[in-house]
Amino acid sequence: MTLRVLTVDDSRTILAMLHHTLSNAGFEVLQAEDGKQGLDVLMSHNVDVVITDINMPVMDGIEFIKNVRASGQYQSLPILILTTETSQDKRDQGKAAGGTGWIVKPFDPDKLISVINRVVH
Amino acid sequence: MSDLDDFKATYFDECSELMNELEEQFAAIESGERDADRLNAVFRAIHSIKGGAGAFGFSGLVGFAHAYETLLDYVRDGRVEMTDDVVTLCIRANDIVADFINAAQTGEELAADYGAEEKQRFDAIARGQRGDEDEWSGEIIEEFDIEFTPVRVELAVESEPEVVVEAVAESEADTFDAPPMPAEPGHWEVRFTPFRQLYSRANDPLLLFRELGALGEINVKAILSEVPPLSDFEPFGVYCSWEISLFAPDLTEAAIREVFEFVDGDCRIEVVPLGQAAAPAAKPAAAPKPVAAAPVAPAKAENLLALTEDEVVDAPAKPATAPVVEEEAGLSFADLASEIVAAAPPKIVAAPTPKPAAPKPASAEGGEEGGNRSVGVQSIRVDLDKVDRVVNMVSELVITQSMLTQQMDENLRARYTELVRGLEVLAQTTRGLQDSVMAIRAQPVKSVFSRMPRLVRELATKTGKKIKLETIGENTEIDKTVIEQLSDPLTHMIRNSADHGIEDPEKRKSRGKSEIGTIRLSAEQAGGNILIIVEDDGNGINRERVLQLARDKGLVAPDITPTDEQIDQLIFAPGFSTAEAVSDISGRGVGMDVVLSNIKKIGGSVHVRSWTGKGSRVTLRLPLTLAVLDVMLVKVGESPYVVPLSSIVETMQCSGATFERVPSGGQVLQVRGEYVQVIDVAQRFNMHSTKAADERFVVLCESEGSQKVALVVDDIIGQQQVVIKSLEENFEQVEGIAGGTILGDGNVALIVDVQGLRTTMIHQNAA
Repeated sequence: MTLRVLTVDDSRTILAMLHHTLSNAGFEVLQAEDGKQGLDVLMSHNVDVVITDINMPVMDGIEFIKNVRASGQYQSLPILILTTETSQDKRDQGKAAGGTGWIVKPFDPDKLISVINRVVH
Repeated sequence: MSDLDDFKATYFDECSELMNELEEQFAAIESGERDADRLNAVFRAIHSIKGGAGAFGFSGLVGFAHAYETLLDYVRDGRVEMTDDVVTLCIRANDIVADFINAAQTGEELAADYGAEEKQRFDAIARGQRGDEDEWSGEIIEEFDIEFTPVRVELAVESEPEVVVEAVAESEADTFDAPPMPAEPGHWEVRFTPFRQLYSRANDPLLLFRELGALGEINVKAILSEVPPLSDFEPFGVYCSWEISLFAPDLTEAAIREVFEFVDGDCRIEVVPLGQAAAPAAKPAAAPKPVAAAPVAPAKAENLLALTEDEVVDAPAKPATAPVVEEEAGLSFADLASEIVAAAPPKIVAAPTPKPAAPKPASAEGGEEGGNRSVGVQSIRVDLDKVDRVVNMVSELVITQSMLTQQMDENLRARYTELVRGLEVLAQTTRGLQDSVMAIRAQPVKSVFSRMPRLVRELATKTGKKIKLETIGENTEIDKTVIEQLSDPLTHMIRNSADHGIEDPEKRKSRGKSEIGTIRLSAEQAGGNILIIVEDDGNGINRERVLQLARDKGLVAPDITPTDEQIDQLIFAPGFSTAEAVSDISGRGVGMDVVLSNIKKIGGSVHVRSWTGKGSRVTLRLPLTLAVLDVMLVKVGESPYVVPLSSIVETMQCSGATFERVPSGGQVLQVRGEYVQVIDVAQRFNMHSTKAADERFVVLCESEGSQKVALVVDDIIGQQQVVIKSLEENFEQVEGIAGGTILGDGNVALIVDVQGLRTTMIHQNAA
């Protein structure tokens, strides 16, 4: 079964790199450029895992995660926070909002895949 | 690798978009729009640039962007104010970021310390906010190092770190005296009690076990003792915990804890090394509830019970590196096992890995909070309205004081010497108070000057000229209201210089000038005035063209030949534009008359001087303060007038002065060999002089550009301070009058606008 990953980031570079890494590893990749678009994608697609940036226009990652968790159907959807923040507070905010885990940018491709495998069945 | 090259191309495209975005945002920010949305957009742009740069290992860019981003983050959450200084710094930083991006793209090498100065300033600003120097610099470096190698920070310590250390230290002292027995390496027991939030974040114990299973041999046992009868069962309640025993030849505690990285804080984890000797003892001990232990050895109970189990467990693990943990844990545990573990397994087993390093990260975290709390109060923010209320009341106080002084006639002075002395002290204090209050409103002109370098850069780009801007005296302080009114005129003046003044590089070269034109912006205090001067080394005013245009527009009669100086001043005439093709830079002939009207509005004056082929200079003379003016009180007819003291050079009696008629019908006064234009104030304002011609007085004033003018008045009463009241607001603008004031005796006096009078006379003569 092909796992489907939703990637949410306002940086085209990051989206492109995620897409490359994930599709090479056999994932199906969906993309969104902000939280709002991410929610739209989730409305119309079944997704196995979400990777989201925190700092985004329109709707940031924290808000996005809160919204996802608030909808009954996605309470057990693993959400990984993509972050360069080391101050921990963004990561903690993301976790408090319902984030499952996190990936530190810049990510090593193998590490990225192993992190995803940690949170999906 | 072509993939990487593709990504890089995407990244550089994105960067150029982001740089444009930054440019746009800062254009708005510079014009005062500093709302959260803009600051967020700026932060995001830099953040994205940094993120991509990290991916490609552009370390110079990453380092710089990181420092910049940190500052922006502080600005964004209000810890640092987005002052004009910070804006300027940011704009400079944008240029540096652009240079880094460019260098990354072209493979060009930048100096190793490129941008270091700005980076330091970011740090300094952020540090100033935090008030803790050492810690900050430490954080910057550490954070940076950590950030771009995916390193986990193991566990958060929620308690006061000192307490943990103390407890650990003591338990160590109490329990580790006996020689430790060797444990069997690679054998571990993990006690895992998830909290409810672990599930609400979509983590799953099964996945964790799967991952532990990947580490080595695993044996999982569920603890179901907490599961309530079905009647008490809460649907979302969490009742299950697990014990997992693990074996792998060189399995470390760190590796085990890494599995639980994402659920840190969402569960209780104990990782216990299983020694050969300890193993049998520990296993039965763990069988009862993993929660609170009842019988604890009395000596240790106090300290340990003061802490939650998590804290004891977590604290030592944080800084310890894997091999150290393994060794120390192994050494210590064996000794403990039989004696204490049975009684309080979760607590004691956690204690064995005290490291001197333990408090370091913990206190750094605590210190960050402390830094925020202990920001020194160096300044306060006060609503400008409140300051203005004080200014107004002080102004009224000044009037009252001068009124009281006026009421003291000779008679009273002789009788009430104590009162006179009191009034003198009052006068002094009032003046001091006034100065202090005015100083509150004063700000360095830097806030306006700092917006100009960018303007000049833009102008240079648009016009294709090479222009450098020099600023002098930007710390000169001036009333806030004046500063606010200064931005537009300065912008126009600089645009004018760049557009009309500075020549194309080729032309400059052919004139033997440096290719780079200079615009010099300076501020200085001169007596009661502030002079703002914009000079350029360009073309100078094209007088022939100006005069021609002025004649065409009917501003100058055909039979009049104005002096050079008069021609120069024509550029301030409303609707006048000398640009042969109206450019989008200088606007449509609204530039320089905006300068004049804005400056006049705040009681200032404008003067221009020009040297053909060599450059021009526009001088703005501005009052130090708008509220109070030192004046000389004079009388014209029956009415009192006041003349700003700052413009008066000397006074004399008419009887001793030599007037001469000039052909145009006016009069001049010869003062030490210099002819000075005479303005009879009575005549000018259609008043009737009450005095014979030679009983009257001459007040010799200096207007712009050291041009003197002699005002003839009926009497000189004295010198005092007055509060300026706007004539425009209360009546209407009157030429030759700068405003009104209320005198100590309640009479209204008009303030003579010396420069205005002179200009209108020139116009009258010219027309």
